[in-house]
Parts: sequence; C-alpha cells; structure tokens
Amino acid sequence: MNLIIGLIIATVVSWLNFVIVDTFLGLPEAPGVKGAKTVGYSIKNRKGDLSGGFFQGNILCSPDASAGTLIASIGVYISGIQGGLIAALLVYIGNRLCADPGYAGTCGALTMTLLIFIFSFIGITPEMFICGMVIAIFTIQGIHHPTSSRLIGKIAKSFGRYTKYE
Amino acid sequence: MISIGANGFQLFVNYIVAIIVAIVLSLALRSPLLPKKPIRFSWTKSALFPTPIFAMGILAIFYSLNIFWIYNGLVIAVIVGAFLAIFVKYLFDYIFPIPQEGGSK
Repeated sequence: MNLIIGLIIATVVSWLNFVIVDTFLGLPEAPGVKGAKTVGYSIKNRKGDLSGGFFQGNILCSPDASAGTLIASIGVYISGIQGGLIAALLVYIGNRLCADPGYAGTCGALTMTLLIFIFSFIGITPEMFICGMVIAIFTIQGIHHPTSSRLIGKIAKSFGRYTKYE
Repeated sequence: MISIGANGFQLFVNYIVAIIVAIVLSLALRSPLLPKKPIRFSWTKSALFPTPIFAMGILAIFYSLNIFWIYNGLVIAVIVGAFLAIFVKYLFDYIFPIPQEGGSK
C-alpha cells in the first residue's frame, strides 16, 4: 500500500482505538494520581475542559491505552502477534507500578494487536501503526491542550463518562 | 499479512488452552470471576483479569524464544496457565502491592 495513505489510515485507527478505549474505561472521569489532577486543573485554568484535562493527565502519568497502542505496535513489529501479547503484559506491569488498576492499557494493547492483524490483510504494516500512533498522540498532547481537552470532554459526555469534579 | 508462527492454528489453540486452564484454576482457588463494581476502578484480582493477561504474555515470551518442548507447545501452555493462576492468587500482591493512598483511578 502507498505509504502516505497507509499512514493516514493507521493514524485514524490508532486515534480511535486509544481514545475510545481510554474514554470507555473512565480516564476522563477521575484523576488517578495527584499529577493527573494538577494537569487537569491547569488545563481548565487555560480555558480547557476539566474532563479532557483529567484524560490528558492520566495518559501522561501512567501507561494507558495510548501507551498500550504504541507498545503493541512496536511488539508486533518486533516479533509478530506474540509481541503484541508480550506488550499487553508489559503495559499491565507498568500500570501497576504507576498506581493504576491497568484495564485501559491492557485492553488498548490487546485491541491494537487485533487491529494490526486485521489491517495487515489490506497491506498496512506495523511500522505505519508505530508512526501513526505517534502522530495520533501528538494531536492530543502536542498541539493545543485546551482545544483537544474540549474535544475529549465532548467525547466523554457522549460516552457518559464526564467527570463529577468541579 | 503478519506471520503468527510456523503453525498458527496450533498456537491459537495453545493460547486458548492456557487461558481456559488459568481461568478454571483461578475459579477453583476461589478467585471471583469478575472484579468488584465499578469494574473500571476496581483493584480486585479476578479470574478474568489479570490472570489470562499474564498467561498469554508469559506463553508468548516462551514461543517468541522458540521454546515449544513437546506436543507443539501444548504442554507448556497448560503448565503456564496453571502456574500463573497460582501466582496471581498467592504471590501477586507481594510483587505488585496495591498503592496505599491516592491510587484509586
């Protein structure tokens, strides 16, 4: 497949995978650790959304589905499907070390392994997913926090996962 | 297409066997089937999480190191499933303790 088209599809798939898994498993609802709370309120003070801020703080402070997606892509690149399963285990251990129950990271890594396997049939390689995931996380964490937090806030509302914090 | 090993279907069966052995043995050791609700904030160890994750991950490490032993890796799958169920039940809290404060995401 053409590199640019493959990269665009991989970016969209990675973005949807980590945002849906993370939102569904409650990242925008509550800060897991103090760092996430600080990030959330800091983004709120800059006219962002508190729920989106907690989401960004949580993926910053522990390996959630964003890290799971990236590490699963790297695992599959290195040693095939086995690598994706090893990545899920490593992400889970990392989650426990970061005071996080670990559902989001593990589910993200496993769903991404499955998605890479499915998309490999139309010619998208794991390398494209590694690069696509870096671009996807850049759109959330790298460009403009208040704007991306408002988008995450809207997604969290539609999933019924909006925060109860003030 | 991504290669899933010399004998993909056999490996798939091995993973399923490891997961089933791990879940059944966890239930036999009186772990709950599901974590306490709300599940996404729960720290309970259960038969469905994280036992199968550990079983799959450790088995994948064996297979990616090309350790298959006899019956195309089926025996390793059963041993890993059983060992991981016991590990998660008895040793897990010692190695990965639940954080004391501020750790309820």
